[in-house]
Amino acid sequence: MTGANAVRQVFGFFSFLGRKTGKTRVFAILGLIPVALAVIVRIVLHGRGGLMAAVFTEILMVFFLQFYIVILALFYGTSVTAEEIENRTLTYLITRPIPKPAIILGKSAAYAVLMFAMVGVSLALSYFIMNAARLSDPDLYGTFFRYLGVLGLGILAYTAFFTFLGAVLKRAIIVGMIFGFGWENVIQYFPGSTQKLSIVHYLKSLLPYHPPSVGGGGGRGVALLLFRLEPTTPLAAILILAAVTAGLLALACWLFRVKEYLYED
Amino acid sequence: MTAVIAASHLSKWYGNVLGLNDVSLEIEEGITGLLGPNGAGKSTFMKLITGQMKPAIGSVTVRGRKAWNDPDVYQGIGFCPEQDVFYEDVTGWEFVTGLLRFYGYSRTEIRERAARALDVVDLTADKDRLIRGYSRGMRQRVKFAQTIAHDPDILILDEPLSGLDPLGKRKLIKLIKDFKKQGRTVLVSSHVLPEIEALTSRVVLIHQGKILAQGDIPFIRELIEAHPHQISVRSSDPRALAARFVGDRSIHKMTFGADGRTLVVETHKRDAFFSRLTGVVIEAGIAVEEISSPDDNLQAVFEYLVGK
Repeated sequence: MTGANAVRQVFGFFSFLGRKTGKTRVFAILGLIPVALAVIVRIVLHGRGGLMAAVFTEILMVFFLQFYIVILALFYGTSVTAEEIENRTLTYLITRPIPKPAIILGKSAAYAVLMFAMVGVSLALSYFIMNAARLSDPDLYGTFFRYLGVLGLGILAYTAFFTFLGAVLKRAIIVGMIFGFGWENVIQYFPGSTQKLSIVHYLKSLLPYHPPSVGGGGGRGVALLLFRLEPTTPLAAILILAAVTAGLLALACWLFRVKEYLYED
Repeated sequence: MTAVIAASHLSKWYGNVLGLNDVSLEIEEGITGLLGPNGAGKSTFMKLITGQMKPAIGSVTVRGRKAWNDPDVYQGIGFCPEQDVFYEDVTGWEFVTGLLRFYGYSRTEIRERAARALDVVDLTADKDRLIRGYSRGMRQRVKFAQTIAHDPDILILDEPLSGLDPLGKRKLIKLIKDFKKQGRTVLVSSHVLPEIEALTSRVVLIHQGKILAQGDIPFIRELIEAHPHQISVRSSDPRALAARFVGDRSIHKMTFGADGRTLVVETHKRDAFFSRLTGVVIEAGIAVEEISSPDDNLQAVFEYLVGK
Protein backbone atom coordinates (compact mmCIF):
# COMPACT_ATOMS: atom_id res chain seq x y z
CA MET A 1 0.00 0.00 0.00
CA THR A 2 1.34 3.46 -0.87
CA GLY A 3 2.07 5.94 1.90
CA ALA A 4 -0.74 8.28 0.83
CA ASN A 5 -3.27 5.48 0.66
CA ALA A 6 -2.14 4.23 4.07
CA VAL A 7 -2.61 7.72 5.54
CA ARG A 8 -6.09 7.84 4.00
CA GLN A 9 -7.04 4.47 5.48
CA VAL A 10 -5.74 5.39 8.94
CA PHE A 11 -7.58 8.69 8.67
CA GLY A 12 -10.82 6.88 7.83
CA PHE A 13 -10.41 4.38 10.64
CA PHE A 14 -9.74 6.98 13.32
CA SER A 15 -12.32 9.44 12.01
CA PHE A 16 -14.80 6.70 12.72
CA LEU A 17 -13.31 5.63 16.06
CA GLY A 18 -12.82 9.23 17.22
CA ARG A 19 -16.51 10.01 16.81
CA LYS A 20 -17.49 7.10 19.02
CA THR A 21 -15.35 7.82 22.07
CA GLY A 22 -16.59 9.28 25.34
CA LYS A 23 -13.83 11.88 25.11
CA THR A 24 -15.45 13.37 22.02
CA ARG A 25 -18.81 13.60 23.75
CA VAL A 26 -17.27 15.39 26.73
CA PHE A 27 -15.42 17.89 24.58
CA ALA A 28 -18.43 18.50 22.38
CA ILE A 29 -20.39 19.37 25.52
CA LEU A 30 -17.55 21.70 26.56
CA GLY A 31 -18.08 23.46 23.24
CA LEU A 32 -21.57 24.42 24.40
CA ILE A 33 -20.11 26.79 27.02
CA PRO A 34 -19.47 29.65 24.57
CA VAL A 35 -22.89 29.02 23.02
CA ALA A 36 -24.53 29.39 26.42
CA LEU A 37 -22.44 32.48 27.08
CA ALA A 38 -23.49 33.92 23.73
CA VAL A 39 -27.15 33.41 24.60
CA ILE A 40 -26.67 35.16 27.94
CA VAL A 41 -24.72 38.06 26.42
CA ARG A 42 -27.31 38.40 23.68
CA ILE A 43 -30.08 38.73 26.26
CA VAL A 44 -28.13 41.10 28.51
CA LEU A 45 -26.69 43.38 25.80
CA HIS A 46 -29.67 43.28 23.45
CA GLY A 47 -29.52 46.13 20.88
CA ARG A 48 -25.86 47.14 21.42
CA GLY A 49 -24.34 45.36 18.38
CA GLY A 50 -20.93 47.05 18.27
CA LEU A 51 -20.15 46.29 21.86
CA MET A 52 -21.37 42.77 21.36
CA ALA A 53 -18.85 42.11 18.58
CA ALA A 54 -16.06 43.47 20.74
CA VAL A 55 -17.14 41.40 23.70
CA PHE A 56 -17.25 38.36 21.50
CA THR A 57 -13.75 38.91 20.20
CA GLU A 58 -12.27 39.71 23.55
CA ILE A 59 -13.93 37.10 25.69
CA LEU A 60 -15.15 34.26 23.59
CA MET A 61 -12.09 34.20 21.34
CA VAL A 62 -9.98 33.98 24.48
CA PHE A 63 -12.00 30.91 25.43
CA PHE A 64 -11.55 29.38 21.99
CA LEU A 65 -7.94 30.38 21.45
CA GLN A 66 -6.43 29.94 24.85
CA PHE A 67 -8.56 27.20 26.31
CA TYR A 68 -10.78 25.18 23.97
CA ILE A 69 -8.40 24.47 21.10
CA VAL A 70 -5.48 24.00 23.50
CA ILE A 71 -7.28 21.46 25.66
CA LEU A 72 -8.70 19.68 22.61
CA ALA A 73 -5.30 19.47 20.94
CA LEU A 74 -3.68 18.44 24.21
CA PHE A 75 -5.99 15.48 24.73
CA TYR A 76 -6.33 14.42 21.11
CA GLY A 77 -2.73 15.16 20.09
CA THR A 78 -1.03 13.31 22.94
CA SER A 79 -3.48 10.44 22.52
CA VAL A 80 -2.32 9.77 18.95
CA THR A 81 0.41 7.61 20.45
CA ALA A 82 -0.36 7.49 24.17
CA GLU A 83 -3.86 5.98 24.00
CA GLU A 84 -2.60 3.18 21.75
CA ILE A 85 0.09 2.36 24.31
CA GLU A 86 -2.12 2.73 27.37
CA ASN A 87 -4.89 0.64 25.80
CA ARG A 88 -2.31 -1.74 24.29
CA THR A 89 -4.01 -1.44 20.91
CA LEU A 90 -0.81 -0.28 19.22
CA THR A 91 -0.21 -3.95 18.40
CA TYR A 92 -3.15 -3.91 16.00
CA LEU A 93 -1.70 -0.97 14.09
CA ILE A 94 2.00 -1.67 13.88
CA THR A 95 1.55 -5.26 12.73
CA ARG A 96 -0.25 -4.05 9.59
CA PRO A 97 1.47 -3.52 6.25
CA ILE A 98 1.47 0.26 6.51
CA PRO A 99 4.39 2.61 7.11
CA LYS A 100 4.50 3.76 10.74
CA PRO A 101 4.46 7.48 9.84
CA ALA A 102 1.09 6.89 8.15
CA ILE A 103 -0.33 6.05 11.58
CA ILE A 104 0.82 9.37 13.02
CA LEU A 105 -0.26 11.43 10.02
CA GLY A 106 -3.59 9.69 9.46
CA LYS A 107 -4.61 9.62 13.10
CA SER A 108 -3.57 13.19 13.89
CA ALA A 109 -5.34 14.39 10.73
CA ALA A 110 -8.50 12.51 11.71
CA TYR A 111 -8.42 14.04 15.17
CA ALA A 112 -7.66 17.51 13.78
CA VAL A 113 -10.75 17.30 11.56
CA LEU A 114 -12.82 16.11 14.50
CA MET A 115 -11.58 19.00 16.65
CA PHE A 116 -12.16 21.47 13.84
CA ALA A 117 -15.74 20.25 13.51
CA MET A 118 -16.36 20.70 17.24
CA VAL A 119 -14.74 24.13 17.31
CA GLY A 120 -16.47 25.18 14.08
CA VAL A 121 -19.94 24.28 15.31
CA SER A 122 -19.36 25.95 18.67
CA LEU A 123 -17.91 29.08 17.07
CA ALA A 124 -20.64 29.35 14.44
CA LEU A 125 -23.45 28.99 16.97
CA SER A 126 -22.02 31.41 19.51
CA TYR A 127 -20.92 33.96 16.88
CA PHE A 128 -24.16 34.08 14.99
CA ILE A 129 -26.29 34.07 18.13
CA MET A 130 -24.45 37.15 19.32
CA ASN A 131 -24.59 38.84 15.96
CA ALA A 132 -28.11 37.77 14.98
CA ALA A 133 -29.10 41.39 14.44
CA ARG A 134 -26.41 41.88 11.76
CA LEU A 135 -26.91 38.77 9.66
CA SER A 136 -27.28 40.87 6.50
CA ASP A 137 -23.88 42.53 7.06
CA PRO A 138 -21.29 40.91 4.70
CA ASP A 139 -18.42 41.92 7.05
CA LEU A 140 -19.89 39.62 9.65
CA TYR A 141 -19.13 36.56 7.54
CA GLY A 142 -15.63 37.75 6.63
CA THR A 143 -14.76 38.10 10.32
CA PHE A 144 -16.31 34.74 11.10
CA PHE A 145 -14.21 32.95 8.52
CA ARG A 146 -11.12 34.75 9.74
CA TYR A 147 -11.79 33.54 13.28
CA LEU A 148 -12.44 30.06 11.96
CA GLY A 149 -9.22 30.08 9.93
CA VAL A 150 -7.17 31.23 12.92
CA LEU A 151 -8.66 28.53 15.12
CA GLY A 152 -8.05 25.97 12.36
CA LEU A 153 -4.39 26.96 12.17
CA GLY A 154 -4.23 26.82 15.95
CA ILE A 155 -5.67 23.32 16.00
CA LEU A 156 -3.10 22.16 13.45
CA ALA A 157 -0.12 23.72 15.22
CA TYR A 158 -1.11 22.59 18.71
CA THR A 159 -2.05 19.11 17.50
CA ALA A 160 1.33 18.75 15.82
CA PHE A 161 3.07 19.92 19.00
CA PHE A 162 1.16 17.58 21.29
CA THR A 163 1.43 14.67 18.84
CA PHE A 164 5.18 15.16 18.93
CA LEU A 165 5.12 15.35 22.71
CA GLY A 166 3.07 12.14 22.88
CA ALA A 167 5.57 10.36 20.64
CA VAL A 168 8.47 11.45 22.86
CA LEU A 169 7.14 11.19 26.41
CA LYS A 170 5.23 8.58 28.37
CA ARG A 171 3.37 11.15 30.49
CA ALA A 172 2.99 13.74 27.78
CA ILE A 173 -0.27 15.13 29.13
CA ILE A 174 1.37 16.73 32.20
CA VAL A 175 4.14 18.37 30.20
CA GLY A 176 1.51 19.36 27.64
CA MET A 177 -0.62 21.07 30.29
CA ILE A 178 2.38 23.01 31.55
CA PHE A 179 3.11 24.10 28.00
CA GLY A 180 -0.46 24.83 26.94
CA PHE A 181 -1.69 26.60 30.03
CA GLY A 182 1.59 27.78 31.53
CA TRP A 183 4.16 28.64 28.94
CA GLU A 184 1.69 29.77 26.28
CA ASN A 185 -0.27 31.94 28.70
CA VAL A 186 2.77 33.65 30.16
CA ILE A 187 5.36 33.93 27.42
CA GLN A 188 3.03 35.69 24.99
CA TYR A 189 3.06 38.75 27.25
CA PHE A 190 6.85 38.99 27.37
CA PRO A 191 8.14 41.95 25.40
CA GLY A 192 10.65 41.70 22.57
CA SER A 193 11.23 38.48 20.69
CA THR A 194 10.52 36.15 23.66
CA GLN A 195 6.76 36.29 22.95
CA LYS A 196 7.50 34.77 19.54
CA LEU A 197 8.38 31.50 21.26
CA SER A 198 4.68 30.83 21.78
CA ILE A 199 2.20 29.49 19.22
CA VAL A 200 -0.55 31.74 20.48
CA HIS A 201 1.48 34.84 19.55
CA TYR A 202 1.20 33.97 15.86
CA LEU A 203 -2.47 33.09 16.17
CA LYS A 204 -3.27 36.41 17.85
CA SER A 205 -1.30 38.20 15.16
CA LEU A 206 -3.86 36.93 12.65
CA LEU A 207 -6.93 38.10 14.53
CA PRO A 208 -8.76 41.28 13.64
CA TYR A 209 -7.60 43.77 16.21
CA HIS A 210 -10.16 45.86 18.05
CA PRO A 211 -8.43 48.72 19.85
CA PRO A 212 -9.83 49.36 23.32
CA SER A 213 -11.81 52.39 22.01
CA VAL A 214 -14.08 50.18 19.85
CA GLY A 215 -17.45 49.79 21.44
CA GLY A 216 -16.93 52.76 23.70
CA GLY A 217 -15.71 52.67 27.27
CA GLY A 218 -17.12 49.17 27.81
CA GLY A 219 -14.66 47.63 25.35
CA ARG A 220 -11.58 49.07 26.99
CA GLY A 221 -11.27 46.64 29.86
CA VAL A 222 -11.93 43.42 27.96
CA ALA A 223 -9.51 44.34 25.16
CA LEU A 224 -6.69 43.51 27.55
CA LEU A 225 -7.64 39.85 27.32
CA LEU A 226 -6.41 39.71 23.74
CA PHE A 227 -3.59 42.11 24.34
CA ARG A 228 -0.91 41.98 21.67
CA LEU A 229 2.53 43.42 22.20
CA GLU A 230 4.29 43.32 18.84
CA PRO A 231 2.23 41.31 16.33
CA THR A 232 3.98 39.42 13.57
CA THR A 233 2.80 40.21 10.02
CA PRO A 234 -0.02 37.89 8.89
CA LEU A 235 2.00 36.24 6.10
CA ALA A 236 4.96 35.57 8.41
CA ALA A 237 2.59 34.26 11.10
CA ILE A 238 0.95 31.83 8.67
CA LEU A 239 4.31 30.64 7.36
CA ILE A 240 5.70 30.13 10.85
CA LEU A 241 2.59 28.23 11.99
CA ALA A 242 2.77 26.04 8.87
CA ALA A 243 6.47 25.39 9.46
CA VAL A 244 5.87 24.55 13.13
CA THR A 245 3.07 22.13 12.17
CA ALA A 246 5.04 20.42 9.40
CA GLY A 247 8.28 20.29 11.37
CA LEU A 248 6.76 18.84 14.52
CA LEU A 249 4.71 16.27 12.60
CA ALA A 250 7.81 15.21 10.66
CA LEU A 251 9.70 14.81 13.94
CA ALA A 252 6.83 12.84 15.47
CA CYS A 253 6.73 10.53 12.42
CA TRP A 254 10.46 9.96 12.53
CA LEU A 255 10.41 9.21 16.26
CA PHE A 256 7.44 6.87 15.94
CA ARG A 257 9.27 4.98 13.22
CA VAL A 258 12.55 4.48 15.05
CA LYS A 259 11.34 4.26 18.64
CA GLU A 260 10.19 1.05 20.25
CA TYR A 261 7.05 1.44 22.34
CA LEU A 262 6.73 -1.03 25.18
CA TYR A 263 3.69 -1.67 27.29
CA GLU A 264 3.94 -1.02 31.01
CA ASP A 265 4.54 -4.59 32.27
CA MET B 1 12.83 -27.58 4.18
CA THR B 2 13.48 -23.81 4.12
CA ALA B 3 12.98 -21.85 7.30
CA VAL B 4 10.04 -19.46 7.12
CA ILE B 5 11.10 -17.68 10.30
CA ALA B 6 14.73 -17.60 11.36
CA ALA B 7 16.21 -16.14 14.52
CA SER B 8 19.94 -15.84 14.85
CA HIS B 9 21.57 -15.10 18.22
CA LEU B 10 18.49 -13.10 19.06
CA SER B 11 18.53 -11.23 22.36
CA LYS B 12 16.23 -8.66 23.85
CA TRP B 13 16.38 -6.71 27.10
CA TYR B 14 13.77 -4.62 28.87
CA GLY B 15 16.07 -2.24 30.69
CA ASN B 16 18.02 -4.59 32.94
CA VAL B 17 15.58 -7.45 32.52
CA LEU B 18 16.45 -10.10 30.01
CA GLY B 19 13.53 -10.95 27.73
CA LEU B 20 15.28 -13.24 25.29
CA ASN B 21 18.81 -14.58 25.45
CA ASP B 22 20.83 -15.65 22.40
CA VAL B 23 18.02 -17.49 20.66
CA SER B 24 18.85 -19.19 17.39
CA LEU B 25 15.91 -20.98 15.91
CA GLU B 26 14.41 -21.91 12.57
CA ILE B 27 10.69 -22.35 12.13
CA GLU B 28 9.44 -24.25 9.13
CA GLU B 29 6.06 -24.67 7.49
CA GLY B 30 3.44 -26.41 9.58
CA ILE B 31 2.58 -25.88 13.23
CA THR B 32 5.27 -25.20 15.79
CA GLY B 33 4.37 -24.96 19.44
CA LEU B 34 6.22 -22.54 21.67
CA LEU B 35 5.89 -23.94 25.14
CA GLY B 36 6.99 -22.21 28.29
CA PRO B 37 5.75 -20.88 31.61
CA ASN B 38 4.49 -17.32 31.95
CA GLY B 39 7.31 -14.82 31.54
CA ALA B 40 9.48 -17.30 29.66
CA GLY B 41 9.96 -15.03 26.64
CA LYS B 42 7.32 -16.45 24.31
CA SER B 43 5.54 -13.13 23.77
CA THR B 44 8.84 -11.29 23.37
CA PHE B 45 9.87 -13.73 20.66
CA MET B 46 6.54 -13.27 18.89
CA LYS B 47 6.74 -9.48 19.12
CA LEU B 48 10.17 -9.59 17.55
CA ILE B 49 8.89 -11.76 14.69
CA THR B 50 5.96 -9.42 14.06
CA GLY B 51 8.18 -6.33 14.06
CA GLN B 52 6.76 -4.80 17.22
CA MET B 53 10.19 -4.85 18.82
CA LYS B 54 13.69 -4.29 17.61
CA PRO B 55 16.28 -6.96 18.48
CA ALA B 56 18.95 -5.78 20.91
CA ILE B 57 21.42 -8.29 19.48
CA GLY B 58 21.06 -10.69 16.58
CA SER B 59 18.36 -10.80 13.97
CA VAL B 60 15.01 -12.27 13.14
CA THR B 61 13.86 -12.72 9.57
CA VAL B 62 10.57 -13.72 8.02
CA ARG B 63 11.01 -15.32 4.61
CA GLY B 64 14.50 -13.88 4.53
CA ARG B 65 13.47 -10.28 5.34
CA LYS B 66 14.19 -8.53 8.60
CA ALA B 67 10.98 -8.05 10.54
CA TRP B 68 11.63 -4.69 12.20
CA ASN B 69 10.13 -1.73 10.31
CA ASP B 70 9.33 -3.57 7.10
CA PRO B 71 5.59 -3.21 6.40
CA ASP B 72 5.80 -5.55 3.40
CA VAL B 73 6.68 -8.40 5.75
CA TYR B 74 3.47 -7.85 7.73
CA GLN B 75 1.26 -8.35 4.67
CA GLY B 76 1.65 -12.11 5.03
CA ILE B 77 1.52 -12.32 8.82
CA GLY B 78 -1.54 -12.67 11.00
CA PHE B 79 -0.87 -11.91 14.64
CA CYS B 80 -3.16 -12.79 17.51
CA PRO B 81 -1.92 -10.98 20.63
CA GLU B 82 -2.18 -12.49 24.07
CA GLN B 83 -3.68 -9.42 25.72
CA ASP B 84 -7.42 -9.08 25.92
CA VAL B 85 -7.41 -5.59 24.40
CA PHE B 86 -9.61 -4.00 21.74
CA TYR B 87 -11.06 -0.76 20.51
CA GLU B 88 -13.93 -1.30 22.89
CA ASP B 89 -16.45 1.16 21.44
CA VAL B 90 -16.81 -0.63 18.13
CA THR B 91 -18.70 -3.72 17.07
CA GLY B 92 -16.98 -6.94 16.07
CA TRP B 93 -17.81 -6.15 12.46
CA GLU B 94 -16.37 -2.63 12.68
CA PHE B 95 -13.25 -3.94 14.37
CA VAL B 96 -12.48 -6.52 11.69
CA THR B 97 -13.45 -4.33 8.72
CA GLY B 98 -11.54 -1.38 10.21
CA LEU B 99 -8.31 -3.33 10.46
CA LEU B 100 -8.80 -4.81 6.98
CA ARG B 101 -8.62 -1.28 5.57
CA PHE B 102 -4.86 -1.38 6.10
CA TYR B 103 -4.35 -4.05 3.46
CA GLY B 104 -5.45 -2.01 0.48
CA TYR B 105 -8.59 -4.00 -0.29
CA SER B 106 -11.66 -2.54 -1.95
CA ARG B 107 -14.74 -1.93 0.20
CA THR B 108 -16.47 -4.97 -1.27
CA GLU B 109 -13.47 -7.17 -0.58
CA ILE B 110 -13.20 -5.86 2.97
CA ARG B 111 -16.83 -6.75 3.61
CA GLU B 112 -16.45 -10.20 2.05
CA ARG B 113 -13.28 -10.99 4.00
CA ALA B 114 -14.70 -9.74 7.30
CA ALA B 115 -17.90 -11.73 6.80
CA ARG B 116 -15.88 -14.86 6.03
CA ALA B 117 -13.55 -14.45 9.03
CA LEU B 118 -16.41 -13.78 11.44
CA ASP B 119 -18.28 -16.75 10.06
CA VAL B 120 -15.25 -18.99 10.60
CA VAL B 121 -15.16 -18.04 14.30
CA ASP B 122 -18.96 -18.29 14.66
CA LEU B 123 -19.52 -14.63 15.37
CA THR B 124 -21.80 -13.74 12.45
CA ALA B 125 -24.84 -13.51 14.70
CA ASP B 126 -23.08 -11.21 17.17
CA LYS B 127 -21.06 -9.14 14.73
CA ASP B 128 -23.13 -6.00 15.31
CA ARG B 129 -22.75 -6.04 19.08
CA LEU B 130 -20.18 -3.80 20.76
CA ILE B 131 -16.98 -5.64 21.64
CA ARG B 132 -17.33 -4.11 25.12
CA GLY B 133 -20.31 -6.43 25.64
CA TYR B 134 -18.63 -9.61 24.34
CA SER B 135 -17.86 -12.54 26.62
CA ARG B 136 -14.22 -13.55 27.09
CA GLY B 137 -14.60 -16.36 24.59
CA MET B 138 -16.20 -14.06 22.00
CA ARG B 139 -13.41 -11.54 22.46
CA GLN B 140 -10.86 -14.27 21.89
CA ARG B 141 -12.72 -15.33 18.75
CA VAL B 142 -12.97 -11.83 17.29
CA LYS B 143 -9.26 -11.46 17.93
CA PHE B 144 -8.71 -14.60 15.95
CA ALA B 145 -10.99 -13.30 13.19
CA GLN B 146 -8.81 -10.21 12.70
CA THR B 147 -5.79 -12.54 12.59
CA ILE B 148 -7.06 -14.60 9.67
CA ALA B 149 -9.22 -12.06 7.82
CA HIS B 150 -6.47 -11.05 5.38
CA ASP B 151 -5.62 -14.67 4.63
CA PRO B 152 -2.03 -14.63 5.89
CA ASP B 153 0.34 -17.50 5.16
CA ILE B 154 2.05 -17.11 8.54
CA LEU B 155 0.04 -17.14 11.75
CA ILE B 156 1.63 -16.02 15.00
CA LEU B 157 -0.74 -16.94 17.81
CA ASP B 158 0.10 -15.88 21.34
CA GLU B 159 -1.89 -18.03 23.78
CA PRO B 160 -4.88 -18.23 21.40
CA LEU B 161 -6.72 -20.87 23.42
CA SER B 162 -6.79 -19.00 26.71
CA GLY B 163 -10.26 -17.94 27.75
CA LEU B 164 -12.03 -20.33 25.39
CA ASP B 165 -14.48 -22.94 26.60
CA PRO B 166 -13.72 -26.60 25.72
CA LEU B 167 -15.92 -26.45 22.63
CA GLY B 168 -14.31 -23.20 21.47
CA LYS B 169 -10.89 -24.68 22.07
CA ARG B 170 -11.70 -27.75 20.03
CA LYS B 171 -13.00 -25.63 17.18
CA LEU B 172 -9.98 -23.36 17.17
CA ILE B 173 -7.61 -26.30 17.30
CA LYS B 174 -9.34 -27.74 14.24
CA LEU B 175 -9.09 -24.37 12.49
CA ILE B 176 -5.39 -24.07 13.19
CA LYS B 177 -4.84 -27.59 11.95
CA ASP B 178 -6.72 -26.69 8.75
CA PHE B 179 -4.24 -23.86 8.23
CA LYS B 180 -1.44 -26.37 8.42
CA LYS B 181 -3.13 -28.52 5.79
CA GLN B 182 -3.18 -25.49 3.49
CA GLY B 183 0.61 -25.36 3.70
CA ARG B 184 0.79 -22.37 6.03
CA THR B 185 3.12 -21.72 8.88
CA VAL B 186 1.72 -21.44 12.38
CA LEU B 187 3.66 -20.52 15.51
CA VAL B 188 1.47 -20.96 18.55
CA SER B 189 2.43 -20.32 22.14
CA SER B 190 1.03 -21.78 25.32
CA HIS B 191 2.04 -22.61 28.86
CA VAL B 192 -0.21 -25.66 28.84
CA LEU B 193 1.36 -28.80 27.37
CA PRO B 194 -1.88 -30.61 26.44
CA GLU B 195 -2.97 -27.55 24.40
CA ILE B 196 0.22 -27.67 22.36
CA GLU B 197 0.04 -31.44 22.19
CA ALA B 198 -3.42 -31.19 20.65
CA LEU B 199 -2.07 -28.95 17.92
CA THR B 200 1.29 -30.27 16.93
CA SER B 201 4.08 -32.69 17.68
CA ARG B 202 6.76 -30.08 16.97
CA VAL B 203 7.61 -28.17 20.11
CA VAL B 204 10.11 -25.56 21.24
CA LEU B 205 10.63 -25.30 25.00
CA ILE B 206 11.46 -21.82 26.17
CA HIS B 207 12.30 -20.69 29.68
CA GLN B 208 13.89 -17.56 31.13
CA GLY B 209 14.52 -16.24 27.62
CA LYS B 210 16.41 -19.31 26.47
CA ILE B 211 15.49 -22.19 24.22
CA LEU B 212 15.79 -25.20 26.52
CA ALA B 213 14.96 -27.88 24.04
CA GLN B 214 13.23 -28.42 20.76
CA GLY B 215 11.89 -31.51 19.13
CA ASP B 216 8.76 -33.53 18.82
CA ILE B 217 6.33 -34.25 21.64
CA PRO B 218 7.69 -37.75 22.48
CA PHE B 219 11.11 -36.18 22.95
CA ILE B 220 9.68 -33.53 25.25
CA ARG B 221 7.68 -36.22 27.05
CA GLU B 222 10.89 -38.13 27.66
CA LEU B 223 12.41 -35.04 29.20
CA ILE B 224 9.38 -34.66 31.37
CA GLU B 225 9.41 -38.34 32.32
CA ALA B 226 13.01 -37.92 33.49
CA HIS B 227 11.73 -35.48 36.08
CA PRO B 228 10.33 -37.26 39.18
CA HIS B 229 6.70 -36.33 39.73
CA GLN B 230 5.09 -35.95 43.11
CA ILE B 231 1.62 -37.43 43.34
CA SER B 232 -0.47 -37.09 46.44
CA VAL B 233 -3.24 -39.63 47.08
CA ARG B 234 -5.66 -39.12 49.98
CA SER B 235 -7.45 -42.32 50.81
CA SER B 236 -9.11 -44.37 53.54
CA ASP B 237 -5.97 -46.51 54.06
CA PRO B 238 -2.73 -44.93 52.80
CA ARG B 239 -0.52 -47.56 54.43
CA ALA B 240 -2.29 -50.42 52.65
CA LEU B 241 -1.94 -48.49 49.44
CA ALA B 242 1.78 -47.94 50.06
CA ALA B 243 2.28 -51.65 50.76
CA ARG B 244 0.99 -52.46 47.27
CA PHE B 245 3.55 -50.18 45.66
CA VAL B 246 6.63 -51.06 47.72
CA GLY B 247 8.04 -53.40 45.08
CA ASP B 248 7.38 -51.01 42.19
CA ARG B 249 10.73 -49.94 40.73
CA SER B 250 9.24 -46.87 39.09
CA ILE B 251 8.50 -45.45 42.53
CA HIS B 252 11.34 -43.32 43.74
CA LYS B 253 10.09 -42.44 47.20
CA MET B 254 6.93 -42.68 49.34
CA THR B 255 6.04 -40.59 52.37
CA PHE B 256 2.94 -40.21 54.52
CA GLY B 257 1.22 -36.92 55.04
CA ALA B 258 0.80 -35.40 58.50
CA ASP B 259 -2.97 -35.95 58.33
CA GLY B 260 -2.46 -39.71 58.31
CA ARG B 261 -4.66 -40.10 55.25
CA THR B 262 -2.29 -39.01 52.53
CA LEU B 263 0.35 -40.94 50.65
CA VAL B 264 2.84 -38.86 48.67
CA VAL B 265 4.56 -40.77 45.91
CA GLU B 266 7.53 -39.69 43.84
CA THR B 267 7.77 -41.43 40.49
CA HIS B 268 9.49 -41.04 37.16
CA LYS B 269 6.65 -42.80 35.39
CA ARG B 270 3.56 -40.84 36.19
CA ASP B 271 1.30 -42.47 33.58
CA ALA B 272 2.31 -45.99 34.64
CA PHE B 273 1.62 -45.15 38.27
CA PHE B 274 -1.84 -43.83 37.49
CA SER B 275 -2.78 -46.90 35.46
CA ARG B 276 -1.58 -49.22 38.24
CA LEU B 277 -3.26 -47.13 40.93
CA THR B 278 -6.68 -47.71 39.38
CA GLY B 279 -6.29 -51.50 39.60
CA VAL B 280 -4.83 -51.41 43.10
CA VAL B 281 -7.60 -49.34 44.66
CA ILE B 282 -10.24 -51.60 43.11
CA GLU B 283 -8.46 -54.78 44.20
CA ALA B 284 -7.81 -53.64 47.76
CA GLY B 285 -11.11 -51.84 48.15
CA ILE B 286 -9.43 -48.59 49.19
CA ALA B 287 -11.58 -45.49 48.98
CA VAL B 288 -9.64 -42.72 47.24
CA GLU B 289 -10.76 -39.24 48.25
CA GLU B 290 -8.40 -37.08 46.25
CA ILE B 291 -5.49 -37.37 43.85
CA SER B 292 -3.31 -34.33 43.20
CA SER B 293 0.10 -33.66 41.75
CA PRO B 294 1.65 -30.82 43.70
CA ASP B 295 4.48 -30.31 41.25
CA ASP B 296 2.85 -31.62 38.14
CA ASN B 297 3.03 -28.47 36.15
CA LEU B 298 5.20 -27.17 33.42
CA GLN B 299 6.95 -24.75 35.73
CA ALA B 300 8.29 -27.66 37.82
CA VAL B 301 9.49 -29.46 34.72
CA PHE B 302 11.17 -26.32 33.44
CA GLU B 303 12.82 -25.69 36.76
CA TYR B 304 14.05 -29.25 36.72
CA LEU B 305 15.41 -28.86 33.17
CA VAL B 306 17.11 -25.59 34.02
CA GLY B 307 18.67 -27.05 37.13
CA LYS B 308 19.81 -30.19 35.30
